[in-house]
Amino acid sequence: MSKIPQELKYTKSHEWIRVEGETVTVGITDYAQSQLTDIVFIDLPKKGTKKKAGEVLLTIESVKSAEDVFSPLDGEVTEVNSALEDKPELVNKDPYANWMVKLQKKGGFGETMTPEEYKKFIGE
Amino acid sequence: MGKRTPLYDEHLKLNATMVDFHGWDMPMQYGKILDEHMAVREKAGIFDVSHMGDIIITGKDSEKFLNFMFPTDVSALKEGTAAYTAFLNDDGNIIDDTILYRISVERYFIVPNAATTDTVFEWMKKHSENFNVHLENVSDSIACIALQGKMSLDILEEMSIKYPGEFKFYEVKSSDYAMNKITGNHGMIVSGTGYTGEKGVEFLIPSENAPALWQKLIESLRKIGGLPCGLGSRDTLRMEKGMLLSGTDFSSDRNPKECSISFILTNKGKFIGKEGLESSKSREIFRGIKMDGKIIPRAGSTVFSGSRIIGKVTSGTLSPVLGRAIALAFIDRDYSKAGTEVEVLVRDRKINGEVSRPRIVP
Repeated sequence: MSKIPQELKYTKSHEWIRVEGETVTVGITDYAQSQLTDIVFIDLPKKGTKKKAGEVLLTIESVKSAEDVFSPLDGEVTEVNSALEDKPELVNKDPYANWMVKLQKKGGFGETMTPEEYKKFIGE
Repeated sequence: MGKRTPLYDEHLKLNATMVDFHGWDMPMQYGKILDEHMAVREKAGIFDVSHMGDIIITGKDSEKFLNFMFPTDVSALKEGTAAYTAFLNDDGNIIDDTILYRISVERYFIVPNAATTDTVFEWMKKHSENFNVHLENVSDSIACIALQGKMSLDILEEMSIKYPGEFKFYEVKSSDYAMNKITGNHGMIVSGTGYTGEKGVEFLIPSENAPALWQKLIESLRKIGGLPCGLGSRDTLRMEKGMLLSGTDFSSDRNPKECSISFILTNKGKFIGKEGLESSKSREIFRGIKMDGKIIPRAGSTVFSGSRIIGKVTSGTLSPVLGRAIALAFIDRDYSKAGTEVEVLVRDRKINGEVSRPRIVP
């Protein structure tokens, strides 16, 4: 059973989102990390990168495949979790504590889901 | 529901992540793929490879027939020895690679890949008409457990099983075992083969006896810090050693010369694919690439020398031993020398790498 914290929002591409005022923190869900297998590298964006909702924000490399993480909104990257550069496997250990990117809100969100909707979406 | 090996319940007991693999429910990993990989490199690990096929070839013309089927000199194979070889089509391209075992002059068996067992069986059947041979697919009655890694030898010793030597095999006969359809005796075959590049054995055992052997091996592994290993690490282990994966690195589109396995071409007589092989150009060759950093090229990534396209990646992963990305690729022979600097296009970036022999990790 995947962990799905109540206080977060979710996307169909398995990102979680925490909204605090104009700052939006993005990571991947427990379900996503378990599907990815061992994460070995995270190709993080640079600070100041601007993304539209639905654009590729970063790419996660696992032993088996490479998966994109999409921007949940129109925003600008203000912070990246550089601890993941050396220890990407932290995301496998705790995908919610180990966020990837913080964005400053510049426009609207794409489609998001509540925890209940996401739970149904992944069939659990 | 997919097909299940006799060890399916054992995988569930060990909390394996199960995945579909060519119609089989197989364990991808039990814990972390990287840990399983390193367990095999440093200690030992076991794999359930019962999904692989088992076909027996018997009859007076067996040797003659197999000399026609394979580009390898089957007559040179001694009893109790095995050889890596391949089925070629008329163009000389590889349909599937396999291990061929000689039990006696009139009894052989092969272990083809899971996805190609039926294809290979039909292919042999089709060409067997003019030979006095009998073919039987006994895959459903045989399980295969691979014990790999240097400490395999200690585990074998503890079990009072003699290591057969590389590409050698023998049968442990005992009424404790069910009838082994490969040999026709009650027993299990211990074979000095594997797919990890490490010392080890593969046990070919009647399905009903497989869970007990698996449990015993798990117990032995626990004592030394070894691990059960899934298909995830099986793939990363073979990539570090540049071992081909049927259906991934080739699928009836590459010949043995291109695949860097010319050593299997020992058959001086007439065999299927001989003419195709002789007339083929083989402009590209199978090579490894050591990448700078951890960005992983994947199947389909293009290999460049400057602006010139010189090849295509067929497999890629992070090498747990090297701590950097590696790839297997078919590269233009002019650029195939070890140490040649290349670039691989991954997503929108060209990443530097260095060509190596297929065996990337020595």
